[in-house]
Amino acid sequence: MTTTTTDPPLLRCEALRVGYGGQAILPAIDLTIHAGEFWAVIGRNGSGKSTWFKTALGLMPPVSGRVRWPSGEVPLSYLGQRLSFDDLYPVTALQVVAMARGRGWSFLRPFSGDSAPAREALAAVDAAALAGRTFRSLSEGQKQRVLIARMLAGGAKIAFLDEPTAAMDAVAELEVMMLIDRLRRERGMAVVIVSHHLGVTRRFAERVLFVDDDSDTVITGTTDEVFAHPTFAARYGEHARA
Amino acid sequence: MHSPAPTWDDFVLAIDIFRDAILCGAAAGLVLGWLGVHIVLRRMVFVTAALTQAAGLGVALSFYAGIHLSAEVPPTVGAFGACLVASALVAARAERLLLSRESLLALAWLLSAAGAVLVGSRITQESHDIAGILFGTAVLVTPEDLRAVLGIGGAVLAAAVWWGRGFVFAGFDPNGARVQGLPVRLLELALLLLITLEVSAATRALGALPVFAFSVLPAMSALALTGRLSAAFPLAALFGGLAGAGGYLLAFFYDLPVGAAQVLAAALPLALIAPYRLFRAS
Repeated sequence: MTTTTTDPPLLRCEALRVGYGGQAILPAIDLTIHAGEFWAVIGRNGSGKSTWFKTALGLMPPVSGRVRWPSGEVPLSYLGQRLSFDDLYPVTALQVVAMARGRGWSFLRPFSGDSAPAREALAAVDAAALAGRTFRSLSEGQKQRVLIARMLAGGAKIAFLDEPTAAMDAVAELEVMMLIDRLRRERGMAVVIVSHHLGVTRRFAERVLFVDDDSDTVITGTTDEVFAHPTFAARYGEHARA
Repeated sequence: MHSPAPTWDDFVLAIDIFRDAILCGAAAGLVLGWLGVHIVLRRMVFVTAALTQAAGLGVALSFYAGIHLSAEVPPTVGAFGACLVASALVAARAERLLLSRESLLALAWLLSAAGAVLVGSRITQESHDIAGILFGTAVLVTPEDLRAVLGIGGAVLAAAVWWGRGFVFAGFDPNGARVQGLPVRLLELALLLLITLEVSAATRALGALPVFAFSVLPAMSALALTGRLSAAFPLAALFGGLAGAGGYLLAFFYDLPVGAAQVLAAALPLALIAPYRLFRAS
């Protein structure tokens, strides 16, 4: 699936400042995300990546500026860090994927019990065999596959992934990144991913948001532009040129 | 000289006396067992401890009001009012007080327990013994109590089933649920309200101790046994219902206090399952 730049953008951050208790931790961020784009958010631990993420998703209020959705209400999916899921719950992979059907949930009209879309989504990520397994018993790579299936089942137009491969070995990480990239190309879904792995980022991302609260810097641009930026190069040294 | 142990014939002869109490115990155990799966998975076990204690205080206060203030407050209403106050305390954003939620729970539990004992010391001359309210030593259940437990319990169970997937999603992955538009905070409050309603009705009829036990032990047994969420709910309800009724039988045949016997009955499946799980894990 292809998109054109004449399509209205999915998300626009306008002079967005993020932080806590009314205190901004980063300069203002201006960026626009279109359908089908692959964005990476890069920065060191505690640099404000997750804070921007949560603000863009509406999980935290902005300090100033705003987040706009020019295409109207866009189906979102959020894949949080590994620890954000409670492993005490003995939910099956199928039940996790079916949670995507919760969009539009209300007290008068709760979840649909239809599991067919969830099964189709699991099949699309080659994880149909995992449907009956409990989520907590899966390997990290299998869990990510199931969560990616949840994104598909919910018809997400834009997927936010917060360090989705943090607990994986290099092979599993590459497989998951290739899967995400394939689904992005096939379905025109925008992907925004937080990652510490510059090599993987450089391979897959088209555009980068670099945040650094130490130097009070925010840089956005194509991957090549950001990696060549003097501030980015100074922060990452040899890794930026790798 | 000891009197002979009761037999099944004695029980059958006395069934008219115990029927409502057994039915009440079974119904409360069933509903609390179902809710208990959410309670255990959300790590809010001590929320229920505080609520049951508050319900006990509410019942004691309503008796006190009737005896000393000539104000007739139905005990279930008193229990619900006290539970609501405790729920509000528990649901408060503890971080704004620079405290943990756990410490607010302790505050709610301690105030309720101490309050129940203090109020109880002023009503012991009446038939409403505070020990019965807190530990469930009462054998008989009034028709009003039974109606309240069946009516409120039925409504609570229906709501818990209807909103069940929302409760699970909001507990398993709260941020993911928020992003998909689920009202996570409202769901938390709704679950707390359902627990409050059921605890209020059941504590008046059964006592605080067995109600706390039913809200925790059957769910623990079910989760330890099955490891499947879809099976855990009906299994916990079954264990809870059996414990509610079986506790009365234990109490009848072995001349035990009813509340404590119900706790033992609720703990029995876990006592059987836990060694098996521990053995398998090793």
